[in-house]
Amino acid sequence: MRQRFLSFAGLNTLGNACVRSVTSWWGVIHFGAVTLVMALSPSTYDRENRTVIAKNIYTSTWQVLLWFTSLCALISLVLVRIIVVTALSYGLSQYALEVVVRVLVLELIPLGAALFVVLRSNMEISPTLIGSSMRTDIVPRVIAIAFSVVTLAAVSSLVTLVMAYAVVYGFSPWGFAEYTRMVGRVFDPGVAVAFVLKTALFSLAVAVIPIASALQASHEAIGELSSVPRGTVRLFLALVLIEGASLAIKFI
Amino acid sequence: MQSEFESQSRSQQHPVPPSNIEFKALALVVFMVALVGASLAYVMYARGVFENTQQVILIADDSEGVIVGMDLTFSGFPMGRVRRIELSDDGKARIVVDIARKDAKWIRTSSVFTMERGMMGDTRLRVFTGVLTDPPLPDGAVRTVLLGDATAEIPHLVDTMRSLLENLENITKSNSNLSATLDNVRTVTQNLKGPYGGLGVVLGSEVNAKKIITVLDHVNTLLAKTDTRIFGVHGVMDESQVAITQINAILGDVRSSLKEVDVVLTQVQAIGSNAQVVTADLGVLREHVERSLRKVEHLVNEVNRKWPLARDTELKLP
Repeated sequence: MRQRFLSFAGLNTLGNACVRSVTSWWGVIHFGAVTLVMALSPSTYDRENRTVIAKNIYTSTWQVLLWFTSLCALISLVLVRIIVVTALSYGLSQYALEVVVRVLVLELIPLGAALFVVLRSNMEISPTLIGSSMRTDIVPRVIAIAFSVVTLAAVSSLVTLVMAYAVVYGFSPWGFAEYTRMVGRVFDPGVAVAFVLKTALFSLAVAVIPIASALQASHEAIGELSSVPRGTVRLFLALVLIEGASLAIKFI
Repeated sequence: MQSEFESQSRSQQHPVPPSNIEFKALALVVFMVALVGASLAYVMYARGVFENTQQVILIADDSEGVIVGMDLTFSGFPMGRVRRIELSDDGKARIVVDIARKDAKWIRTSSVFTMERGMMGDTRLRVFTGVLTDPPLPDGAVRTVLLGDATAEIPHLVDTMRSLLENLENITKSNSNLSATLDNVRTVTQNLKGPYGGLGVVLGSEVNAKKIITVLDHVNTLLAKTDTRIFGVHGVMDESQVAITQINAILGDVRSSLKEVDVVLTQVQAIGSNAQVVTADLGVLREHVERSLRKVEHLVNEVNRKWPLARDTELKLP
């Protein structure tokens, strides 16, 4: 009798947790939808808000763009060199550049940019959002974070493409046609659309989920120490799902 | 002092924003839009969207390994891209390839298209042009692809190797022909090392070889005797030499006799010429004689006709 009572209590707890989780995810989705609508609304970009958005973009993108790009170029240089040398040693040099583009540009750099922005923005979110205005504080911040993810990913991808060309062909212009053809072979319409969609979803997830979780925590009067990890976990779960779906679409 | 510290602390907590933030943000947005637009244009250029192309349709029995977007190469240079792959009505694969117009000059009506599959499973489409002066390939031309599959040869190669190994095994068995031949060779080489060497091998036994050697000894003895008799002192050769000297003298006498005969023959020839002249005079004389005889005959006939005692030569039957 006692055992049956315990199992019923466990099921009840599990059910409550599921309901809470679904409600919480629904809240995140709702918040994302509202934010997206407001971001796409022209009235959001009035003079006062433009200044706020500009400040947020400056903070989230301008201040980190140079050194993040430099760091990314350095890591890319090392990885490209490793891949090219390994491919050469196995007699597969014709696949080296394609592997570089597919692995670095299509997969690692967008994910790296998203994680970097998460780490940087999560530290600043929680203390400042409680009691903030949706239109003048939260939406500009969401826009700036999303913009940051896209910009860092795009610039780093470009730099990586240039580094890969320089490692393989040096600074000779005679490899450009072959390199361009390889890039065209990699970026077929499906892959290109998947890349753009994945980056957009990364930016949306990074911009929306931590803020939504922080707001939920403030409404539910949960301590900040527990709310930030909850949003981070949700975010990492979302990123993994997006990355997994992208890989599944491309390679299955 | 305290107020300065408070103001410094306040400025550290709320740093003064730098000037022209809006301009920087706008520049960043413009840069981002330009970057995305340029990337899009570059990818479209890389995909050949802006290229003026013509199509060639390759027919293959099997399109395995061919993917949309893969290159068609000529001498290692990419000339075209696979646009799509479809199944034709006769069950064969139709590989539609876009070829850039600027590169189409390398592909002629006599060009050969091949699809090669490597050992690693990679597939390559290639075009070979032997005669560059042939007419260019028209747009929409249909060509059959020649398959060059390296892995397809492996089963045949394995079968051949298996039969080769079986043959090799049969050859190297203990009771095989090769083994018997090697035994014979061993016997021959042993015989070659015997007292009579190759002669015993050729004649089949040592007895025969011994006979041959005895014969040779006899022949050698005979040759020595012959040498003594022919080339020795007072041998055949000496006597022959004397005889030849005598024959030379005889031939000199014969030569002088023939000269005399030659003179005689010259005189005979002159006599013959005279006789020929005489013979020509005899012909005239003969004509005279014949003419005289005909006259005599005519006279006799006249006498017989006029003579009363002519005989009756007619025979009367009873």
